Amino acid sequence: MIKALREEVRRLFEEKKVDLVIGWGKGSLPMTATPVFIHKAEDVEQLIWDETCSNNLAVYLTKDKRQLVQTNQKIGIVVKGCDGRSLVLYAVENQIKRENLVIIGVPCNGVIDKKKVLKQTEGKEVLSARFEKERMVVEGRGFKTEITKSDMLSRSCIHCNHPNAPVYDIFIGEPINTDSDVAVYPDVEAFEKLDCETRWKDMVESYSQCIRCYACRNVCPSCYCTECFVDQNDPQWIGKSPEITDTLIFHLNRNLHVAGRCVECGACERACPADIDLLRLNRKISKEILERFNFTAGLDIDEKPALASFCENEKQDFIMG
Amino acid sequence: MIKIEKSEFGTFIRDLSAEYKLFAPVGEGRQSAFREVSSADQMNTSIQMTQNSPKTVFLPQTEVLFEFNGDDIQSGEKAAKPMFFWGVRSCDARGMNLLDKVMGQSKQRPDDPAFQDPYWKARFDNAVILTLACHEPASTCFCHWTGGNPFSKEAGDLWAVETETAYLIEPLSEKGKDFVKTLSGYHTASDKDKQEIKTLKKQAESCLRPAVDAKILKEKLPKIWDDPLWDEVSAKCVNCSACAFICPTCYCFDIQDEGKKDKGKRFRTWDCCMFPIFTKEASGHNPRSLARERVRQRVMHKFNYFWETYGESLCTGCGRCIRVCPVNLDIRDVAKQLLEAASAV
Repeated sequence: MIKALREEVRRLFEEKKVDLVIGWGKGSLPMTATPVFIHKAEDVEQLIWDETCSNNLAVYLTKDKRQLVQTNQKIGIVVKGCDGRSLVLYAVENQIKRENLVIIGVPCNGVIDKKKVLKQTEGKEVLSARFEKERMVVEGRGFKTEITKSDMLSRSCIHCNHPNAPVYDIFIGEPINTDSDVAVYPDVEAFEKLDCETRWKDMVESYSQCIRCYACRNVCPSCYCTECFVDQNDPQWIGKSPEITDTLIFHLNRNLHVAGRCVECGACERACPADIDLLRLNRKISKEILERFNFTAGLDIDEKPALASFCENEKQDFIMG
Repeated sequence: MIKIEKSEFGTFIRDLSAEYKLFAPVGEGRQSAFREVSSADQMNTSIQMTQNSPKTVFLPQTEVLFEFNGDDIQSGEKAAKPMFFWGVRSCDARGMNLLDKVMGQSKQRPDDPAFQDPYWKARFDNAVILTLACHEPASTCFCHWTGGNPFSKEAGDLWAVETETAYLIEPLSEKGKDFVKTLSGYHTASDKDKQEIKTLKKQAESCLRPAVDAKILKEKLPKIWDDPLWDEVSAKCVNCSACAFICPTCYCFDIQDEGKKDKGKRFRTWDCCMFPIFTKEASGHNPRSLARERVRQRVMHKFNYFWETYGESLCTGCGRCIRVCPVNLDIRDVAKQLLEAASAV
């Protein structure tokens, strides 16, 4: 698989179809991949693809990195299903020129969340990790253990039903077959069943851990405002300290700003240094939007976003009571 | 050197918490931090390094400087009860000494209290810090790049080593000596114990990977200040502040006012050079508008600017930034790349 990926990318450079390819390379730590920027055919050996390639690379086409797109260079980008959905979102929202992108799909069976692995090893550092189909053998000082894939999958991957990029130019290997492309939200349903007081208490406890580092926002492909409202100071919309009221304003606003746009890649949750359940509310909103508008973000370039269009036959019970 | 048997540890900690506000590592993984404890069973004594450094106690993320209600102005809370920190690793203890150079002392006017931060001083001068030798440095640890060592006695008031059956403690500072005088009824470490320390130190050092001397980095970095390599090393940085907020030595803060004209507060809260707004000027101009410039600022501050002013690296090699970076931007790789480029100039 990796060999095929490298060969395809080499071909793209040789045929002068790309100026730059964004993909994943081997990271400096076990179980860790890192984004790499390939500028020439000789460097394709840096590329890898496996369960550790968790970053959503679409993020490098917007925000601070917008100049990559603005220079009109041809960019190749390696994408999982969710990253590919982000590219569809960008096309719908006029952030990229589709013709300037060469989208390279890879079949994704889910990526791991290192935080979950650390829980399995009870905080002990993993010094080496080896994947064997549905499990990973991890070793550290004085221990060796096997972790099954389901115990370390990123939460975003557990219920994922879009493992392949919806739009691509090249696909490496075979797209993954899915039983159904209808999203399921058992995790959200469990949260919905709790009473209001418990949900609120749970949220306040969880978000109180936030240190306002904005890693969640900065790795989020859907959060690409040129200037985020929390960075504005004239007027200043929000207090800067991690006081719970302000922290909740930040997170809830972010949830609303990405409503109907979140591709549920889980990058926010994996990036969080405070281990907050950041994806839960995003998935709750995605579920609402699916039920009310039969819409899923990032699947169809020609479909108008649910919250930017109106149909007469939409459910209106939230207005009428 | 005093020997506290592990069987005596519970009593030792209980006695300590009666005299001091006692802080120790609590919790696991990303939830771990230095928190107040009152008994040994609340502590995580096996943790290699807490997610959050002890900085969060000495320079809290948010701190009220004063509050006002009409004409009544109250200054922010300053520590009253002496604090004791158990189990600070040498990288973090060295980090606090570095912070003290900025917050507690003034290089230019050392005796002028106007140049000392009273909130910091009230805590730091009132704390006894026990540096606990680090038996198993993690793969992310690089204290030895910056002049440190897992068994360093350079910082802290007391130094301790955990052996199989006991904690061996010796004083490092005047404060430490005073503390040791208050201990009675404990044994003294034997020659065999001291031999065990030597063995443990060797084992710890064998965990460390090849180092780059941060001093060379300091000398060479200015040569490549304008090098296009900064574009390359900053390409994957997403400009969050996870690295700075978990760093034991990042100390930048913003000062904010909240409230109305007759009631409110002024507080400071951590800020970070990775944020675009950090350097945005009133005119709207931003001298560090690009990711490249902000990453360069952070690296230069750690490895050159601070050294120019205070004669030391501002990085103590704890490796927390490497652990939390969401895109695996490893500061050691950055340093190596930069050094290579600088050597070619």
